[in-house]
Amino acid sequence: MRVRDLQEVLELELIQSEFEDTEIQGGYTGDLLSDIMAHATKGSVLITIQAHKNTVAVASLVGIPAILLANSRPVPEDMVEAARKEKIAIFRSNETQFTLSGKLYTLLSSF
Amino acid sequence: MKLETVVEKIPCTVVVKGKGFDEVDLRSIVASDLMSDVLTTVDDRFLIVTSLNSEQVIRTADIVGAPAVLLVNGKQPQNGMVRLAEEFGITLLSTPLSTYKVCYLLGCLLEAT
Amino acid sequence: MSTIPINTQESPPFLLDLIYRLKVKDVMTKEVITARKETPLRKIQHIMKEKGITGVPITDEEGKRIFGIVSMDDIIRALDGGYIEESAERWMSRNLIVLEDDMPLQFAISYLDKFKYGRFPVLNKDRELVGIITSRDIIIALLVEVNKEVEKLEQQIVQPPSKPGEEAWLLYNIRKYDFENAGKASAGIKKLLIERNIDPKTLRRISIAAYELEMNLVVHSDGGTLSFRLGQDRVEIEARDRGPGIPDVEKALEEGFSTANEWIRSLGFGAGMGLPNAKRVSDEFSIESRMGEGTIVRTVIYLIVPP
Repeated sequence: MRVRDLQEVLELELIQSEFEDTEIQGGYTGDLLSDIMAHATKGSVLITIQAHKNTVAVASLVGIPAILLANSRPVPEDMVEAARKEKIAIFRSNETQFTLSGKLYTLLSSF
Repeated sequence: MKLETVVEKIPCTVVVKGKGFDEVDLRSIVASDLMSDVLTTVDDRFLIVTSLNSEQVIRTADIVGAPAVLLVNGKQPQNGMVRLAEEFGITLLSTPLSTYKVCYLLGCLLEAT
Repeated sequence: MSTIPINTQESPPFLLDLIYRLKVKDVMTKEVITARKETPLRKIQHIMKEKGITGVPITDEEGKRIFGIVSMDDIIRALDGGYIEESAERWMSRNLIVLEDDMPLQFAISYLDKFKYGRFPVLNKDRELVGIITSRDIIIALLVEVNKEVEKLEQQIVQPPSKPGEEAWLLYNIRKYDFENAGKASAGIKKLLIERNIDPKTLRRISIAAYELEMNLVVHSDGGTLSFRLGQDRVEIEARDRGPGIPDVEKALEEGFSTANEWIRSLGFGAGMGLPNAKRVSDEFSIESRMGEGTIVRTVIYLIVPP
């Protein structure tokens, strides 16, 4: 499954559309940047409520191609700009981190 | 879903056995590392899944009425966290799995019950 | 010489805050006893004995421009080497390590541990000598601050809860970045309400409001008080702080807006949900804020009065 496919299958709102449409390797759920930095792996989708431009910086460092914001968190403009520069996709959902993690895991294991 | 079922089916250790451990019935799961987010949850009787290992997790659980906390990524609770969990009667669990993986497993369990 | 046993990275938040908040100029000795280049070492030895000090900076006439320093070690070497009657100029240590008066105290602690000197001359921005700092100065300053802090802790609960059925009030002192005690005030409030058999839904709303306001004081304010009043038909909670004030109250009530730094975020707070959430669970909510003076947040939650 590719980054582009996330929007339809998880019914997401696309916030930042200028991204590299790479193959998704897995997922990681967390809101602490230090934790994401330590544990998330390259090619994973990040599920978080930390809507902040520093989240993009960490995503770029780890090699995360897409950020999935849970709980309809408002997205600051500087976060979108940073993601555009780094070619990282931002999606948003009204579901919780728990539900999104379960759905993404199920989807990825069926591919 | 019974808290006991979680302990049985999910690879985890029981750090603190809280009040009424055998009878606790969980209605839902909240996975978050931001306690300010957990505090906005309208529900109660949920399991908190988090990688944050500080006292504030237990204080938050007590205030929102969450009977149990599951620490992920094999994180060891800080000393004050264990002490406070014992004082407030909140069950504290620890798993080597990530939030992402454990949410999937918990989701399967919830659907099965 | 043993090091100062303060971990400048991982000590309790109160200590970290303290050693960053205090500046070298707050701690140093300001009246510096100096000598001139031509002063004989013998004279400096006498000054040391008389004033009970272990190092004398060598300066110009005004005592502003520093050329070197003569320490007790230099004097001992002079006595051994038989040149104690010679002037300071030739034998003083010119390899000066100095601190600036605006540096945080943490720098002085690191310097003392790193360089193993007993004292450091302190210069201002114009490179003029304005003081001298020793480990003794640091110990005194830290003890004074810790004493103040303990006094505050002892006063934390001002009024004990009153008897069931009566109105009650509680007042807590809340300190900036005190994550160790954060949440204790709300826990106290919750305990009182449980004793009064408040219905669980209202209890939860009151607890959330109290905890959010308490955490808000810890994370964002320079410290203040959380007061709680239990009336016949309502509960009032008021958070009053000493600053810094909220520049834009409307903005602060927007979900997701936060001024918290990365350190606070790494503790799981400062995601910009606190005040909006406190407002959500309250029946009445107001904020008054003045920049440089402080902020007062008031919430009221109505109790269900049995008919």
